[in-house]
Amino acid sequence: MRVFVREPTLGLTAFVLIGLMALFIIYPQVQVVTVPGVGGYERFFRSGPNWIRATQNSLWVMTFSTTTAVLLGFVYAYAMVYSRMPWKPFFRLIAILPLLSPSFVVAASYILLFGPRGLVTYYVFGVSPNILGFYGLWGVQTIAFFPIAYQLIADVMSRADPRLEQAARNLGAGPWQVFWTVTLPLARPGLVAAILLVAIYVVEDFGNPALIAGQFTVLPTLAYGLIIGFGDFAGAAVVSTILLGLALSMYLVRMRLEGRHGYVTISGRGSSIPRPPVPALVTWVCFGICLVLAGLIVLVYGVLVLSAFVEAYPFNFQPTLKHFVYVSTRFNSLRNSLVYALTAAAICSMFAVLLAYLVQRKPWRGRGLVDFVAIMPAAVPGLFSGIGYATAFNQRWFDWVDRGALITISMIFWNIPVGYRASLAALQQIDRSIDEAATSMGAGSLRSFRDVLLPLLRGALTTGFITTFVRAITTLSVVIFLFTPSTTVATITIFQLVNDFNWGGATAFTVSVITMAILVLTVVWWIAGRHVRLDEVAGG
Amino acid sequence: MAEPHIRLTSVSKRFGPAGQNPPAVDDVSLEVPRGSFTTLLGPSGCGKTTTLRMIAGFYEPDVGDIFIGDRRINDVPAHRRGTAMVFQDYALFPHMSVADNVGYGLKLAGMKTKERQIQVAETLRFLGLTGLDARSPSQLSGGQQQRVALARALVMKPEVLLLDEPLSNLDAKLRLSIRDELTSIQKQLGITTIYVTHDQDEAVAMSDWVAVMNAGKVVQWGPPWDIYYHPRTPLMADFVGTVNLVKGVVAAAEGDAAHVRVGGEEIVVPGDWSSLAAGREVVLSIRPESLRVTAPDDGRAQACPDAGGGATFSGEVVRHTFLGRLMRYAVRSGDLEWLVDQPDPGAGAPLEGPVLVRVNATRVHIIPDAG
Repeated sequence: MRVFVREPTLGLTAFVLIGLMALFIIYPQVQVVTVPGVGGYERFFRSGPNWIRATQNSLWVMTFSTTTAVLLGFVYAYAMVYSRMPWKPFFRLIAILPLLSPSFVVAASYILLFGPRGLVTYYVFGVSPNILGFYGLWGVQTIAFFPIAYQLIADVMSRADPRLEQAARNLGAGPWQVFWTVTLPLARPGLVAAILLVAIYVVEDFGNPALIAGQFTVLPTLAYGLIIGFGDFAGAAVVSTILLGLALSMYLVRMRLEGRHGYVTISGRGSSIPRPPVPALVTWVCFGICLVLAGLIVLVYGVLVLSAFVEAYPFNFQPTLKHFVYVSTRFNSLRNSLVYALTAAAICSMFAVLLAYLVQRKPWRGRGLVDFVAIMPAAVPGLFSGIGYATAFNQRWFDWVDRGALITISMIFWNIPVGYRASLAALQQIDRSIDEAATSMGAGSLRSFRDVLLPLLRGALTTGFITTFVRAITTLSVVIFLFTPSTTVATITIFQLVNDFNWGGATAFTVSVITMAILVLTVVWWIAGRHVRLDEVAGG
Repeated sequence: MAEPHIRLTSVSKRFGPAGQNPPAVDDVSLEVPRGSFTTLLGPSGCGKTTTLRMIAGFYEPDVGDIFIGDRRINDVPAHRRGTAMVFQDYALFPHMSVADNVGYGLKLAGMKTKERQIQVAETLRFLGLTGLDARSPSQLSGGQQQRVALARALVMKPEVLLLDEPLSNLDAKLRLSIRDELTSIQKQLGITTIYVTHDQDEAVAMSDWVAVMNAGKVVQWGPPWDIYYHPRTPLMADFVGTVNLVKGVVAAAEGDAAHVRVGGEEIVVPGDWSSLAAGREVVLSIRPESLRVTAPDDGRAQACPDAGGGATFSGEVVRHTFLGRLMRYAVRSGDLEWLVDQPDPGAGAPLEGPVLVRVNATRVHIIPDAG
C-alpha cells in the first residue's frame, strides 16, 4: 500500500475505482444471492419440479447447442485458415454479422421462415407446424453462436506457426496425419475456450428460448416468468443463482485452463509463411459447408430485411417504408440505445484501461482480488446482472440516479472484462522501462499513464470500446428489468414487438439497430485510424 | 575521496516471500563520491541493477537507508528524486518525436515552450543529434537511439545520472566509441554517475570507482586499478578479467616483501605482507600480461622488464591462440598451467616446444584467503 501513500492521487484513484466496483459489481450480485434468505431457498427447492425441469433443460440445451455450434465453428475456422477456398472475405464478413445484432433475432427470423405463417412452411409448403420447443431452440442457438466459436478458434489457428506443419510434412506425415497430430493439438486452446464460452452464451441466452422454446422452460425463462407472472423476485433470484453457478463454474474452468488471462493469444499475428496446401477435395468440402452456413446467415438476415421493407410479410410483398415510419415514432428507444451504449463504451474502456494499469503496474496488496472481480462479470449471466441491479438499485435511496444512468452503469460494469483483459495483455507488451523513463523525468504515475501509456494502449482502448458498445446495444437480458417507458432501449422494443406479432415493426427496428451499429463502428474505425479487429468482439 | 554524494547504509531487498528466494541485495553499504563515475560491476543476478533501481526509486529497500546528499530519499517517490536514468533498451517513447522525447521532462517541469525548444536543441547539438528532432525513435539507428536516451536524461541537468547497461545493445565497435564519449561527457558536466554493467572491460575503462558485486553483496570497492590487480578473492580475480590463480606457500614474510614458494621456484612479492605467517598457504593472482614467454636458450639474453624478485618457470607450450594484438599461450610447467599474453606476436617467441615463462613479481598479488 506504500505506493498509494507516496502518491495520494494514485491512491485516491484506486480507491474510487475499487469503491465503484464494490458497489456496482459485488453488491448487486450479493443481493441476488442473499435476497431469498435461507428460508427462501428451502421453500423454493421444496416447491416442486419446475426448477429441476428447467435446470435439466438448460443443461440439455447447453450440451447440444454448444456441441453443434463449436463443431460448425471449428469447420468454418479450419476452412478460413487452412483451405484455399474462394470468397474468404465474404465469409469473414458474414460471420461478423451475428455479433452485431441481438442474438434473439435469429429466433425471430426462424419464426418468419418456418413458423405457422413462415415463408418456407406456409408460403412454400402450405403447412402451419408448431415449431416451439427444444429442436427449434437447438437449431437457432447453433446458428446464433457458431460465429463466436469460429472467431475464437480461427484466432488460435491462425497463430499456429506454419513451419510446424511444414516440419511435419517434411518428416513424412500425410495431410491426414498432419491434421490429427499437429493442426488439431495446436488448435486445442481455441477449441476449449470456444466450448466454454459458447456454453456460457447458450446457458444464459434468454431471448431465443423466450421466443421459441415454448413449454421447454430453461433457467433464464423460468426466472423471467417468475418475475413477470408472479412478481416472485425471491424465486427468480434462486433460479438465477443456479444459473450463475453454472456459468461461473465454466468460466473458472476456462480461466484455469488458459492460465487466467490467456495473454499469448491476443497479440502478434502468425508469420506470413504460407501453410502447406490441403488436398483439393478438402478445400471444396470446406467451401461447400461454408457456403451452406453463410447461406443460412444470409437467409436469417435477408428475411428480416425483407420483412422490414414489405407491406405485410409473408402475405403482401408490396415494398413500403411504413415500418420505418413506425420506427421513427418510437425513435426514443433507438436514441436511448445509442446514447447508453456510447456512454457505457467510452466510460467502460477508460475504466478498464486504468484499472489494468493499476493492477499490472503497481504493487499493492489485494490487487489479486481486484483482478478477479474485474474479470468476473464475464461469467455473470445478463439476466442475473439485471435482477441484481433491479433488487439492489430499484430502491428509494438510489432514486436520485436517473434510470437511464442506471442502465448505462449496468452496461459499463457488465462489460469491463473484455477491455480489461485486452489492456492487461497490451500492458504486458509494453516494457516497464517506458513508464519508468517518464517517472525518472519527473512524471507522477497518473501523468505518465496519461502521457505515455494511454497513447500506446489505443488498441486495447478501441477493443474495449467496440466490444462494450456492441454488447451494450445488443443486450436484452441485462436491461429487461431496468427499463422504464422513457428509458426503454431498442432490444426491449424489438422483443415487445415480436411478442405482439408486429413483425414489420420488429424487423424494421432490427434493421435500424444493425445499421446504427455498423455506422458507429465505421466511425470508430475511421477515428482509430488503425487496424481494428472486429472479431475481438467475440472475446468474451 | 571527495565527499559522498549518494550513500547507501545497510540496504537489503528481497523479492518474494522470505525464505523462498535469497535476498537480491544483501546488506549493501556504499558511498559514491560527488562528481565521480562509479560502476556497479557483477554477473547477472548479482543485485547491481536492483541496487540502481532502488536509488532511482523504482524499488523500495526492505531495510536500510538511501541518501542523496543529506536527504534521506527512501520515501521520496521516483519522480521527485532528481535522478535521471538511461535504460538498457533506451525506453524511448515510441509515439513521440526525438524532440518531444528529449523535451518531455522539461515540459513536466513546467518550462515554457520557447525556452524548452532552445534547451532541447542545445542538448541535441551537444550529443551530435542535430537534424533528427522530428524523427520518431523507430527511424533511428541503435547508436542514435542511445544518444537520444542520454540526451533525454542530460537535458534535465540531473543531480545524479543512472545508467543501466546502456551499451549492451550496441555492436562492439559502436560500444567502444560511445563508451569514450560517455566518459568525456561525464567529465565535462561533472554529474555524479552510477553505471551498471557486467562487462569488466567497460568497468575498468570508464570508472573512477568500481563496486564489484556478487550474490547481493559488495565484494570489493576501489579504483579500477585496485580491483584489477588486487582482487580480494580468487572469485573476483577470475571475474574481473583472465587470471592465473596459483597456489603457493609463504616461505618468509618481511616488512617490504613476501617470499612465496610456487612449484619449486620462489617469487619475492614486494609490499608489506608482514601479517602473513611463514608456512601459510596462499593464492597468487597473476595476470597473463604480467608473464612473458621466451625461448629456453636465450632466457638470459632477453632481460626481464624488472630484474628483482621475479621467477622463471620452464615448461612446454600446450597451445597458442592468435588474438591479433597478442598471442595467448598455455604453458605446462610441472603441475602448473600458465596463461601468458605475449604482446607483439610477430616478435618471434617460439610457438611450440620447450619455453621459459618469466614472472614479473611487481604485478603479482597475494590473496591470503585461499578459499
